[in-house]
Amino acid sequence: MSGILNWILWLPFLGMLGVLLIPKQKESAIRWWSVFVTAVTFILCLMLYTNHDQANPMMQFVVSHPWITQFNIFYKLGIDGISLPMVVINGLLFTICTISSFDIKKNIKGYYALLLALEGSVFGVFMALDFFLFYVFWEVMLLPMFFLIGIWGGENKEYAAIKFFLYTFFGSILMLIGIIALYFAAEGKLGAETFDMVKLMGGHFSDLNVTIFGSSFSFEKIFFLFMFVGFAIKVPIFPFHTWLPHAHVQAPTAVSVILAGVLLKMGTYGFLRISYPIFPSAAHYYADMIAWLGLINVIYGALCAMAQTDVKKLIAYSSVSHMGYVMMGIAAMTTEGMNGAVLQMFNHGTSTAMMFLLIGILYERSHHRWIVRPDGSKGFGGLYTQMPKYSIIFIIGMFASLGLPGLSGFISEALVFLGIYQKYTTIAVLALIGLLIGAAYLLWMFKRMFFGPVNEDCKDYSDANGREIFYMTPLAIMVIVFGIYPSPLLDMMKSSVGKLVVDLAKFAN
Amino acid sequence: MGINFLANLSHYIPELMAIVTMMGLLFVEACFKSSERNRLYLYLVSGIGLLFTFWSLGAALSTKPLFIFTNSVAIDPFSTLIKMIMVLGCAGSIYLSADSEDIYPNLKSEFAIMAMGVLVGGMLLASANNFLTLYLGIETLSILSYVMSSLKKRDDRSSEAGLKYVLYGGVASGIMLFGMSHIFGALGTINFSEIIIAFNPQDSSQTTVLLVSFLFVFVGLGYKIACVPFHMWSPDVYEGSPIPVTTFFAIVPKMAGLAALVRITMGLFGEDQTILQISWIGVIQVAAALTMIVGNVSAIAQKSVKRMLAYSSIGHAGFMLLGVVVVDQTGASAIAFYGITYLFMTLVAFFITGYVSDHYGNDHFERFNGLIHRYPVMCIMMIITMISLAGIPPMSGFVAKFNILAAAVKKGYFTLAIIGGINSVVSLYYYLKIVRLMVFKPVESEEAIAGFGIRNQIVVIGLSVPVIALGIFWSSILSLSSGAHLLLP
Repeated sequence: MSGILNWILWLPFLGMLGVLLIPKQKESAIRWWSVFVTAVTFILCLMLYTNHDQANPMMQFVVSHPWITQFNIFYKLGIDGISLPMVVINGLLFTICTISSFDIKKNIKGYYALLLALEGSVFGVFMALDFFLFYVFWEVMLLPMFFLIGIWGGENKEYAAIKFFLYTFFGSILMLIGIIALYFAAEGKLGAETFDMVKLMGGHFSDLNVTIFGSSFSFEKIFFLFMFVGFAIKVPIFPFHTWLPHAHVQAPTAVSVILAGVLLKMGTYGFLRISYPIFPSAAHYYADMIAWLGLINVIYGALCAMAQTDVKKLIAYSSVSHMGYVMMGIAAMTTEGMNGAVLQMFNHGTSTAMMFLLIGILYERSHHRWIVRPDGSKGFGGLYTQMPKYSIIFIIGMFASLGLPGLSGFISEALVFLGIYQKYTTIAVLALIGLLIGAAYLLWMFKRMFFGPVNEDCKDYSDANGREIFYMTPLAIMVIVFGIYPSPLLDMMKSSVGKLVVDLAKFAN
Repeated sequence: MGINFLANLSHYIPELMAIVTMMGLLFVEACFKSSERNRLYLYLVSGIGLLFTFWSLGAALSTKPLFIFTNSVAIDPFSTLIKMIMVLGCAGSIYLSADSEDIYPNLKSEFAIMAMGVLVGGMLLASANNFLTLYLGIETLSILSYVMSSLKKRDDRSSEAGLKYVLYGGVASGIMLFGMSHIFGALGTINFSEIIIAFNPQDSSQTTVLLVSFLFVFVGLGYKIACVPFHMWSPDVYEGSPIPVTTFFAIVPKMAGLAALVRITMGLFGEDQTILQISWIGVIQVAAALTMIVGNVSAIAQKSVKRMLAYSSIGHAGFMLLGVVVVDQTGASAIAFYGITYLFMTLVAFFITGYVSDHYGNDHFERFNGLIHRYPVMCIMMIITMISLAGIPPMSGFVAKFNILAAAVKKGYFTLAIIGGINSVVSLYYYLKIVRLMVFKPVESEEAIAGFGIRNQIVVIGLSVPVIALGIFWSSILSLSSGAHLLLP
């Protein structure tokens, strides 16, 4: 099993080369080849899950080769209980996305090649244990995203693609300077310059000072902020969220699914893997700020979602709101809060992916997404009568998003509330308002779209077809199963999260 | 003395080789009037000459560094590496000139001859170890450059470019010479090795004179590098000159000027912190920051791709100046690495722009609309290069910036590193503009672009290979560049 991470990482890239070799005209060959590649990768991810030693909180399946010896850069991969859920959901969502993208008609070859490249680079981000390698994948991921949004997106795609690219690049360049500073700081503290994340972890840098802009700062506090900007843009944390609605609305369905389902989690994953373990004192120092920002995310995102008339934008803002719970859970730094955060990362991945896929299915029929059109008329109406099967799946996804007990979203949100209540009672109480608004906007949207008389132009919409039901089913099942029985997920992450919480507690002041 | 001189000459073979090539080209130009044979011999001679120059430089890379010609020229791995970059840049622009319609057919050999001449000047400049050789190098470089920029005689803007270049260059080198004369007056020597000995930090009147005169020297070098505030000539000259000349200017004089600046900074200001040293480094810091900001911000609003690339090359020079600020070997190595990657990126970008503008008669951004649907391979190479110029992994441009940032951060220059980083973001915007037009826009015309023939496609692909490869397998190039030590007086 030792080289399995190599396979998971490079299979998508190999698949991409395969796509490039298939002639342009053989469209179904390209589609099925991509489905095959992503499915095999997903099976490998499942094998990774079954072989993962859940009692061991450390890095497993580690692969390490020297890459650039002059800078001590290693090609080092490994996973633990925090990254494994992300790897699994990445494999799952990409498999689903390749199937759901059969609707794509324009330049199929380029589309699937980029999609596979995206999959590989996201795997790289979640597996890399070398900071330099992490950064490379973190950036490489932007390129396929840029083209996927820019070529296959909606009417305002160019603006959205460029905004996404520039915004994220700005964040990561600050992160790069932080990475380099850490590399040189490691020489004094650890004896050798290193990019190895595992070696850097453990709060070695709490007593260092640096001079920036002519004044002296605590090394930890300033570079925590550098990294914070990089990750916060990705999450996105208010006020760095403005790229997200554009990117989501303009992106093709599959890319929205990936963006909401996996890419946003890269930001929170960055906090859990990098910011917190490497700068534990600063994590405590900034905990209040992050918790409050998380609260703002929850409430502000929900209020924005409420005001939307475009259903995809509504779900995009709901992501902002839901990622706020993750941030709150992380800021709490309690076992429940952290477990809740990682679980929410996974569960939001499934539920929001369902919502975006469902909107994509609807868009295939309607070619618009207005709940209320700009002229004030209803965009949809009576969809429940028109598309009953579709509506049932929609109900499952919506209630999972909303946090209905018995579905997956509830468990993780409840855990986050448990965790945050011990430390930030006020925030926990205020966040309940966000939960309430969350229920309100989703139900209101549902009422406007699915109930009432069938709209004139909705009359010819066909119900969800076999392929659509096929790729929605696994997600629907997961949302229900993990709502009742979340232990498989919690067991997977428990020991690593527990270790992180214990390590962080040592630096509490 | 005579024997010593001859022995010294044996270390000067690359330069002699370049001079011989230049004379060979003159001979070809004079002897073969029929243009077919003329062109064949022209490219044969320049190709072989440059190949031998490159090869002898490669051989010189491993020899022991030393001063020759009574300490006036330093032969060390750093200067040799920079010379190799210049030779490749020269070869690239001569290749581009062969097909370019920007250079009149009867002037193609003249272009090659002058390019070789500038190359010789640049090589002299990169090794200069006293102010006389420095000045000779700069002048050889400049005077031929003036002619090259106005090579497109019948074009107003080309003539304008030449005139601007002459005026600006004349003033800059005058100021520089004035500064040098004061340095000689204050210290009694023009040799770098002796300046260090003669300089007395305690003598305040000497320091005052030197402060001003070194500032004057910086003006001359800054103008060659095109760093802000001495950059005003550069966009107009770059835009007005024929594309092969622009390509040449973006690489050869820039790298030569940087090499000279690195040598002066590290040779004369590497040791103790004196007032002179602090103010020299301070000036370069400010110049580096301004150069990055002005270059990148101005590039955003440009309508012509060539002009955009001109501003972007100002931005890149600013980034390389960060390596000078560091004042140690890591900085010099980072500059050498940056130079290598910058060479390939610049060549690809200018080649493609050149072929497109040859076809349409101008190089406005709209000419790139939808190009990917007709020339997918060329456009992918262009995309790779643009992404690389912006500094996004896994391209070599990222690794180059990483090296410079690492050198700066190591010395604690966080502010400059942040400015550099943010400028990369700014630059991404205008580089993406080309990518956006090529990929997202509909095709503008169906005509085939003559420059994109199979041969040129292969050359562009060949030049793009290092752009990616050096971003992933950069270990060997890194050991080459980190071995590029300067021989300090």
